[in-house]
Amino acid sequence: MSHLDVANPYRIYWIAWLCLLVVTVVMLFLGNRTLLILGISFKAIVICLWFMHLRYERLDFVLYILVGMFATAFVLFGLIAPDGLAM
Amino acid sequence: MTTESIGLRWGGGVSPFGISWQKMFMWWFIVTDALLFASFLASYGFNRLASDSWPDQSEVFHMDFIAAMTFVLITSSATMATAVAASRRGDSRIALRFLLLTIVGGVCFLGMQAYEWSMIIGEGARIDYSPWSPGEPGFVSFFFLITGFHGTHVLIGAIVLACVAIKARRGKATADGYELSGLYWHFVDLVWVFVFGCFYLI
Repeated sequence: MSHLDVANPYRIYWIAWLCLLVVTVVMLFLGNRTLLILGISFKAIVICLWFMHLRYERLDFVLYILVGMFATAFVLFGLIAPDGLAM
Repeated sequence: MTTESIGLRWGGGVSPFGISWQKMFMWWFIVTDALLFASFLASYGFNRLASDSWPDQSEVFHMDFIAAMTFVLITSSATMATAVAASRRGDSRIALRFLLLTIVGGVCFLGMQAYEWSMIIGEGARIDYSPWSPGEPGFVSFFFLITGFHGTHVLIGAIVLACVAIKARRGKATADGYELSGLYWHFVDLVWVFVFGCFYLI
């Protein structure tokens, strides 16, 4: 974790916080579903990369964590949930 | 990667991903817990799409209040990240201070959620009855299920952070302890991002 010790000023977390806050406020005024999904994705990426330190981890670990999760989420949200329209 | 190097990496005695087993276990927990919430939200989406009398959330919730709850949780995540970074730098005083701020944020969030629940219940909502869509209780059922599960996670997180704070006060908290509890806390924030977006806004 030595790379983290070096590149770890507190400032970066408060910049991330500001980004999250701005996007949250913007999302309150968005009526467009696609833009809202983009806003959610942006916030999730900021939290995972900066707050949860994934950007400091090895790429194989990041892929190990994210690929399976995204694949399962795709099945749930992309394939199963839309079936509600056919009910 | 050659067979020999695979053996060196996965044959035992080393960490294949360059992280501690405790962190690996925390990430496994986070992935499985994330899929639990994903299944809740996907089933919410399914039911909402299947229903023809789903209420408009903006008529049920006070969005300003929900935005304030989001602000509190995001801020507590930033204070937690600062606490983790401070503990890594060996600055235990700042680490403990920001950890305590994080706990305060978590408790505030829980109080706000309790208030929101009391308002919703006060308007006649029950787990199996929605006053905004009498023939369609799914909306309120999912509200109690999803926010209840998330709130329970916040409560557990606040307790875990309090344990870390007690250890830190005694000078026994490690940077890894801060990081593991921080990962869980950020995950709770991450879940709220999806709950806020999918349940309250979309």
